[in-house]
Amino acid sequence: MTIGKAVRTEKQALTPSLTTSLPKSKGGSLHPLAATLSRLLGPRKVLSSLSERLNYRYDAIAFGETPICVVLPESTADVVTAVKAARAAGVPIVGRGAASGLSGGAAPTQRGLVISFTRMTRLSIDPVRREAIAQAGVITLAVTEAAKPFGLIYPPDPASFRTSTIGGNLAENAGGPLCFKYGVTGDYVQGLEFVDAEGEVHHLTRDAYDLAGLLIGSEGTLGLITEATLRLTSPPKFTRTLMAHFAEVGQCAEAVSAAIAAGAVPSKLEFMDRACTNAIEDYLHLGLPRKAEAVLLVDTDGDDVETVEEERALVEAACRNAGGTVRRAETDAEAAQLWQARRSVSPALGRIRPQRMNEDIVVPRSVLPEVVREIRALGDASGLHLVQFGHIGDGNLHPNILFDPRTESLEAVHELAHEVARVAIRHGGVLSGEHGIGSMKLAFMREAVDAGTLAALWRVKHALDPHGALNPGKVLPTEVLPTELA
Amino acid sequence: MNNEIRTHHPDGQGELMAHAVDACVHCGFCLPACPTYALLGDEMDSPRGRIVLMKEVLEGALPLYDAAPHLDRCLGCQACVTACPSGVPYGELITSFRGWSEPQRERSPLDRAKRAAILKILPAPKVFSLAARVGQFAKPLAPLLPTALRSPLDLLPEHVPAMQPSAAFTPARGQRRGRVAFLVGCAQQALAPNFNAATLRVLARNGIEVVIPDGQGCCGAAALHTGARGEALKLVRANLAAFNPDDFDAILSNAAGCGAGLKEYPAILHGLPDEAQARAFATKVQDISEFLGALLDDGELEPPMPTSRPLTVAYHDACHLAHAQGVRSAPRALLRAIPGVTVLEVPEGDLCCGSAGTYNLEQPELATQLGVRKAKNILSTAPDLIASGNIGCHTQIQSHARRQGSPVPVMHTIEILDLAYRGEL
Repeated sequence: MTIGKAVRTEKQALTPSLTTSLPKSKGGSLHPLAATLSRLLGPRKVLSSLSERLNYRYDAIAFGETPICVVLPESTADVVTAVKAARAAGVPIVGRGAASGLSGGAAPTQRGLVISFTRMTRLSIDPVRREAIAQAGVITLAVTEAAKPFGLIYPPDPASFRTSTIGGNLAENAGGPLCFKYGVTGDYVQGLEFVDAEGEVHHLTRDAYDLAGLLIGSEGTLGLITEATLRLTSPPKFTRTLMAHFAEVGQCAEAVSAAIAAGAVPSKLEFMDRACTNAIEDYLHLGLPRKAEAVLLVDTDGDDVETVEEERALVEAACRNAGGTVRRAETDAEAAQLWQARRSVSPALGRIRPQRMNEDIVVPRSVLPEVVREIRALGDASGLHLVQFGHIGDGNLHPNILFDPRTESLEAVHELAHEVARVAIRHGGVLSGEHGIGSMKLAFMREAVDAGTLAALWRVKHALDPHGALNPGKVLPTEVLPTELA
Repeated sequence: MNNEIRTHHPDGQGELMAHAVDACVHCGFCLPACPTYALLGDEMDSPRGRIVLMKEVLEGALPLYDAAPHLDRCLGCQACVTACPSGVPYGELITSFRGWSEPQRERSPLDRAKRAAILKILPAPKVFSLAARVGQFAKPLAPLLPTALRSPLDLLPEHVPAMQPSAAFTPARGQRRGRVAFLVGCAQQALAPNFNAATLRVLARNGIEVVIPDGQGCCGAAALHTGARGEALKLVRANLAAFNPDDFDAILSNAAGCGAGLKEYPAILHGLPDEAQARAFATKVQDISEFLGALLDDGELEPPMPTSRPLTVAYHDACHLAHAQGVRSAPRALLRAIPGVTVLEVPEGDLCCGSAGTYNLEQPELATQLGVRKAKNILSTAPDLIASGNIGCHTQIQSHARRQGSPVPVMHTIEILDLAYRGEL
């Protein structure tokens, strides 16, 4: 297992002992790139002290290398300047949004330049074209909030949407509960502006060669997205929410398959197992069923209230037939609480163990019951804390292995993670539904994608980033680099 | 978050800090909740960033002076604690860290003198009152003074009232239903003596007798949150000696910051011999709104009289009430219990007003930006009255609302309830 080799999931090298008097000198001279960038962009946009740089080396799952310096661009022109300066200095570049990602995508594998987009927050709404034009640093939720006064919304809703940025969402092609019915981030992109590895600006649409599609989900390895034109939609007039709970995880998956087979198209279909429910309950105290092995949260929505309620009835019947207990959310406030609970699952798992290995598998819906049961059994047999939750409607599951590196074996954790990935691959699934490959899933790529395809992907990468300067060490394993590119 | 803090700091405070860092999964859910991240937009000035910085300093990988500017900008508002799904006790972390790091800080003589003066004057109501009254006359000179002297003057009200010492014992009116001890607080005795007078009247009205134990003093929060741990320990122990929790149904505070401070005693004494005593004490501590809210829930609150005309009240969540103590619904419920009152919710209600203990004295620029934003948000609801449960917020909001030209009265929740009981609302 080589997972975590390129990017340590936590900082490993620790100072052996604390000296009694702390260092007093301002320590270390300014890197020439930091000096150049400060001169070109002004010191306000460049971070170069150690405390500043240390804070731009992680995302929500991994710690990487501390960057040489950090640029906080305020315009596409600033990005161009930064990219050109880094190219001239031969320094790698990692783009960063809010660093709420779960694949190590924004955690650098090499010392280089981090470009953090959090100050590029210009956002405008064109209600006639039903479009939002958002710079990369715009917070995801801000798009919907700005669109609401015009009777419009932006559906993609990753759990971190209060924190995450549009740029980060595009780089990882983020999903969320609503994506089952409404599609993922990439489905809302009408156009992109990006800066390439040489510092040139390009504008892409979805016509002809869909190069925008190529950039979406490329994790900053092909270019840096600086602005996007996003499609907005009208919100559904009616939404109904229900919660069902089950005595066994497989029953929950059976209910989902049955409901969809019966013709229901819920807007959200989310599952969490017992450990997840308990972690959430410890945080929010909502009265969730702590003893249930699986909880299912479902929204049905649409403009015709009868259809919405019919769909809910279909889901309820499927849940009851599978052995579940159903409860309807009676008020909007209750529904909102349930969805806040769902969004909090991933971080709340920190209550169980300080560290984790997360997965993002997608399997065909028809095999969901076997998959969740097999994964549950693997967890039970391993003696480690394995939990499952996810967007079960589209077969996107997040098995997480929770562990304490001081008391539990990393090898055992990696082995279990690999076993879980194999379950997905064996059932015709893929490794990443919405988090991206980053560095966390890199080790699985050779099993999930055939050698010929990987070589082709490397050639695409090489065409757009011939010097390998853009987010090196992500998405594509170097072991399969075609010889002519080596 | 993986860390080696225990190895470097094998004492009780080290354990507390290591536990907090353990719990952080660096998800970033705290970022949008943090006032300084909202203003500055960089990771170092976010809770997640600060946790990493504190970890690095504690492990010896980062010099304190490098991290200090970002850690000093933390208001200690604990909005991040509310936003944190994994349960990081951030308040305990930053407090312990400040206690550990302060003795190693290099500060200018002026800075040191200012901090010493704040910690001397704030906990001594008589000195504070005198200083405030002198300051009142210096107020017109404020624009000419350097920021360090100007910021406290800006916050002073136009009129500093006379002190009204509270009686050591206030009997219950009518049938006695309970007995509580009351912490009178420091700054509010000088700046807003009616808070305590109203509190005693409302409690008596509800059949609660109130004892103000002799020997009590400042809760220690100001000292603790500025890193003066030695000073704080003295104040904490004086209060533990003054209040015997077995003698009372509850130990009450009407200042959110002080109440939160009292509830922190077990963390301050973690690993020390008097930790158990602190725990017994802290379980009895309640904010006045928590205590009266429980009476209301049980149907035992004396019904207040209706207002003379419909009144809208914008309720401001003090951070140390909402985030640090988790008290949100009780004060709103008490206001709604007054027939004729409508409670208004303030936009960005979870965002700190910038007062934050001594913050508006130490970080006046950020504090002012937050104060302006808070006053704008509150005034956007066009309220008849503004209510809050903390003297610091009260002063900050009043000062910024006046500067924005608003005459809307700013009151403590308990003052509004008191007026309703007297039929004067």
